Amino acid sequence: MKEILKALVDVIWKMPQGLLVTFKHMFKKPITLDYPKKKEPMAPRFKGLHYLERYEDGSERCVCCGLCAAACPADAVYMEPDENENGERLAKVYEINMLRCIFCGFCEEACPEEAIFLGREYEFATDSREGFIYSKDQLLVPHPRKESAFKRTIRRIRKIYGVEESR
Amino acid sequence: MADAVENKKNIAEGVPTVTLTIDGRETTVPKGTTVLMAARGLGIHIPTFCWHPKLKPMGSCRMCYVEIEKMPKLQVSCALEAMDGMVVLTDSDLVKRGRRAIIEFILMNHPLDCPTCDKGGECDLQDQTFAHGVDDSRFDFQKYRFTEGTEGSTFDDLRIGPEIVLNRNRCILCYKCVRANKEAFGEYDLGAYERGNIMEIHRAPGRQVDNPFSGNLVEICPVGALTNTDWRYKIRVWLTQTTSSICPFSSSGVNTLLYKDDHQQKIFRTTSRPNDDIDDGWLADVTRYGYQIATSPDRLQTPLIKKDGQQVPATWKEALEIINKRLNEIKDKKGRVCIGGIVSPSLDNATLHSFSKLIRVTLGSNNIDYRTQYRMLPKEPENVYDAMSARSFKISDIDDSDVIVAFGSDLVKEHPNEYLRIRKACNFHSASVYSVNPYRVKSADVARREMIYKVGTEEVFLNGLCLAAIEAGMAEGGDLKEKISPSTAAEAAAICGVDAEHLKELAAAMANGRKVTFIAGELVSRSRERLCISSALANLTRLLGLENKGQVSILPHYANSFGAGKLGLLPQPPEGIRNALTELWGAWPEAEPLTTDGMLINMKKEEVNGCIALGCNPVMLYPDREFARESLEKLDFLLVADLYETETTGLADVVLPLASWAEYDGRYINLEGRVQRANRALKPRFESKPGYEIVEAIAEQIGDKLYESSDQCEQEISRLVESSNVQPLPDKYFDVRPAEEESDEEYPIALFVGDDPHHSGHLTEKANSLFNFCGEAYIEMSSELAKKLDLKEGDSARVESKVGKIIVPVRISTTINNDVVFIPRNFSSTTVTALLMRKKRTDRVKISKVVN
Amino acid sequence: MMLSEQSIARMKEVVTKYPSRKSAVLPALTIAYRQIGHLDDDIYNEISEAIEIPAVEVAEAATFYTMFPKQPRGKYLIQVCHNISCALLGADGLITYLEQKLGIVKGETTPDNLFTLISVECLGSCATAPMMQINNDYYENLTRESVDRILKELTEQAQAEDEA
Repeated sequence: MKEILKALVDVIWKMPQGLLVTFKHMFKKPITLDYPKKKEPMAPRFKGLHYLERYEDGSERCVCCGLCAAACPADAVYMEPDENENGERLAKVYEINMLRCIFCGFCEEACPEEAIFLGREYEFATDSREGFIYSKDQLLVPHPRKESAFKRTIRRIRKIYGVEESR
Repeated sequence: MADAVENKKNIAEGVPTVTLTIDGRETTVPKGTTVLMAARGLGIHIPTFCWHPKLKPMGSCRMCYVEIEKMPKLQVSCALEAMDGMVVLTDSDLVKRGRRAIIEFILMNHPLDCPTCDKGGECDLQDQTFAHGVDDSRFDFQKYRFTEGTEGSTFDDLRIGPEIVLNRNRCILCYKCVRANKEAFGEYDLGAYERGNIMEIHRAPGRQVDNPFSGNLVEICPVGALTNTDWRYKIRVWLTQTTSSICPFSSSGVNTLLYKDDHQQKIFRTTSRPNDDIDDGWLADVTRYGYQIATSPDRLQTPLIKKDGQQVPATWKEALEIINKRLNEIKDKKGRVCIGGIVSPSLDNATLHSFSKLIRVTLGSNNIDYRTQYRMLPKEPENVYDAMSARSFKISDIDDSDVIVAFGSDLVKEHPNEYLRIRKACNFHSASVYSVNPYRVKSADVARREMIYKVGTEEVFLNGLCLAAIEAGMAEGGDLKEKISPSTAAEAAAICGVDAEHLKELAAAMANGRKVTFIAGELVSRSRERLCISSALANLTRLLGLENKGQVSILPHYANSFGAGKLGLLPQPPEGIRNALTELWGAWPEAEPLTTDGMLINMKKEEVNGCIALGCNPVMLYPDREFARESLEKLDFLLVADLYETETTGLADVVLPLASWAEYDGRYINLEGRVQRANRALKPRFESKPGYEIVEAIAEQIGDKLYESSDQCEQEISRLVESSNVQPLPDKYFDVRPAEEESDEEYPIALFVGDDPHHSGHLTEKANSLFNFCGEAYIEMSSELAKKLDLKEGDSARVESKVGKIIVPVRISTTINNDVVFIPRNFSSTTVTALLMRKKRTDRVKISKVVN
Repeated sequence: MMLSEQSIARMKEVVTKYPSRKSAVLPALTIAYRQIGHLDDDIYNEISEAIEIPAVEVAEAATFYTMFPKQPRGKYLIQVCHNISCALLGADGLITYLEQKLGIVKGETTPDNLFTLISVECLGSCATAPMMQINNDYYENLTRESVDRILKELTEQAQAEDEA
């Protein structure tokens, strides 16, 4: 009987204590985000979805040299080169399997043509496995578009890797 | 010191030697060895660009710098002869500085376009820069660009041949291509022009780089200046896997390396796999681009069955059931002997042997032959011919022969690899080459003496040689003089239309030569009179003792011709092989054997009713097209297995898709008797199957298992190969009475039909690159004859013989200078064999201009 | 055929003087150049036929030597020295003057195919600088007036030859 009473007192006394913690949080700033309405600011070196750059005239920068595929530790890049009528080399097939990709950024680092970059996009969930294999058309940035974006990216990347501004 | 002792052991007695020290290690080498080679012998690597093991040194790249004590400057080791007491340093600071400077100098005008360059990943310059260069450049001016003639190309690429793209900006001027072209191949369609900064490699004025060895130029290029169109921008070299294989088109069995991608199931290119005993690392273009027959989308996809006169796709099961049914029908109707088997000598040992077993054991017929392109094969076995065409022959023995005779053979077209060997013997050992042919051939360019005999007088010429040797007292003739006609060398020379002095000169050269190589080619093996000619050759061999001091052989033509002979795919194989086969199989068919000719004649008489043709195309290649076609049409049942639809598959009741040589492991025997292996690179394309699987499936369907265990086939073959030794030549002279040569006033011009230099057999026209080199038949004639007939290059000519006529474009020959013409047989669009008559020795035609 | 029969005959004669045919390339090129005035691909092919060596060997030798012209030149080749002595005494001005006078730029040929103007290194006549060489003759101590006079003389001479 004594134990029962003790338990009752515990409940009556301790419950408000617990509720107080909850109640206090109602007035605190929440640590969660109202995603997708609000988003967390990103780290400057965040690596998200890849994109393939273009030259100013709209032609593709990628020459399909295969260095990104060679550098890729997850073997996520597949490509087949082709030749256009001017004898230029370009990618006929360029695929990145985002399920395999570990977003390490080695491809970006290996690219001698400054063609592939890891962007800041991370919302690319789909409902099929095939949907994660990104083709060249999906990866290429649209053309025409704001010119400054590319230069800004280059400047950012070069700053990160400590390369001189221009040569 | 230990090295020096070790090396000295390997040097033959009596060769003068020198001893030098390289990087503190002493070595002894024969006098005349370069410092570079001496270092390689010690396993010391010296980097090079312009040095090539099979070419004379040039010393233009300066990459192989070494420091030599007491010499004030760095020396190029590739061109420096090793001397006694030399002290060489290959890795000193001075050498390193020198190499770094050379790399910097080479990179001065070299574009940094490695990402787009196809050589990236296997580039000598990349590797050397990585190893020896610096990572920065002190030059800040614009690099020189060659833009002349490259309009429309962003990277200044220039197509200089059907399959070669030149980028002069990348060229580092090692001259390997130009040197190989001139020195090793004897071709003059590429040169180095201008000088200094603007020096460039370019094609010869008004020419294309389309010689039959042009692919090698790309392979030896140390940078990406010369690239192949087949490999260009297709795949990166590090993504490919390699498979070692051999060439399925040449009888030399040239070693190759196939670059393939397992993921795409595709071969991307062929490169050489240098084997100094066989090929020296050079490939003819037909070898290099021939892989495309395996990857062409035109391949037969499924078995085809004739239903109501139409060939319709079917499954393997249906096809095999029909084969079984029809073969049994024929057997029941007539007995088993009325079935024939013809087979291509380009197939591997297992296929050939299984086929032989299928025909001889399962079907009990004796009609089997691999010689589907020969005319007038006699019923009785041709012992002398068989013996002369299977002499022991070593390709590498050509190198140090001092007298080489090429008889009745257009070497560049038939045996390109042997031609390069002969050139090498000329360049490095000053061999005397004699070219004996009915018309002028390209390979005569190295000949000391070229002899043109009258068409169809091969045996008279050989008799003349015997007589000339006897008359000059160079050999004891014995009773030979009575056995041959004419009776004097002068008479023979007059009949052949050659100078009697030249005949004597050649006889003397062969009699006095230290080491003699005598090569006879297709004009002997395909001739109706091959028995007579080979007897004459046997006489000559015995008279001059050529077997004791060299080698004599009638060279076989296809990849496994030699092997087909050894495995007994002849109607009447030599005694030894026949005994071995009987022992292995426990039985030998009773039936009378028929050759290809015999089979075709009996098909026409409806005495042979069924035929299995494996990988061969007699309608296109048998030297009497109409005869072959009519015979095959009379058949009750024709089964053809091939890679593509051909004229012969068009007549077939059942067509089976055959796998190409790259799609299964196969062994081939080259003309030396060397068994070589071609490994499987791809899965069989579509539903095709390798030849031996097809044969075994047919046998199984009929109800006879060919082999008890999986390695039984291999064991049987090795037994056969062991049991067939080189037949000794009989110790007597043969009667050689030349046949009277028939002439025809109405058809005055002799016609020769053979392979185009870029093709071999009936399949290579399906290879895209080879098609680009030459895609249609032509008639090659001398400019004098063309003038006489009022024809120009590119005109259409009507070529008529007694039995047929065709219309082909004219090509003015750079070699032929008498009244003969040549038409290649490799093109299904032109039915050149329709002009031929199987009973004739020489094909004669008349030519007229087609007026539109 | 651009080579005359005489030239071909001379080439064939020259070939016999050398142990190897290849040695005859330079004399043969000189013969062709003297006759035609320049060299090009067709001429290489003709020379190769005449002396029976591959055309590529001929072309390689011809392009190596810069003194074989590869483009047609005018009747008179004006080579103005631009080395030190001449330069100090106004060779640059002289070249500019010639360019204006002939209406062409250095390296070009006048439309009437009379004059080709090039500048060259020292011709060994520094004592009489500035100087130029026209075909095989030296013209020395040049002034604008003397250049005018020389050009006029040459033009007249060419006209006279044409009429004759």
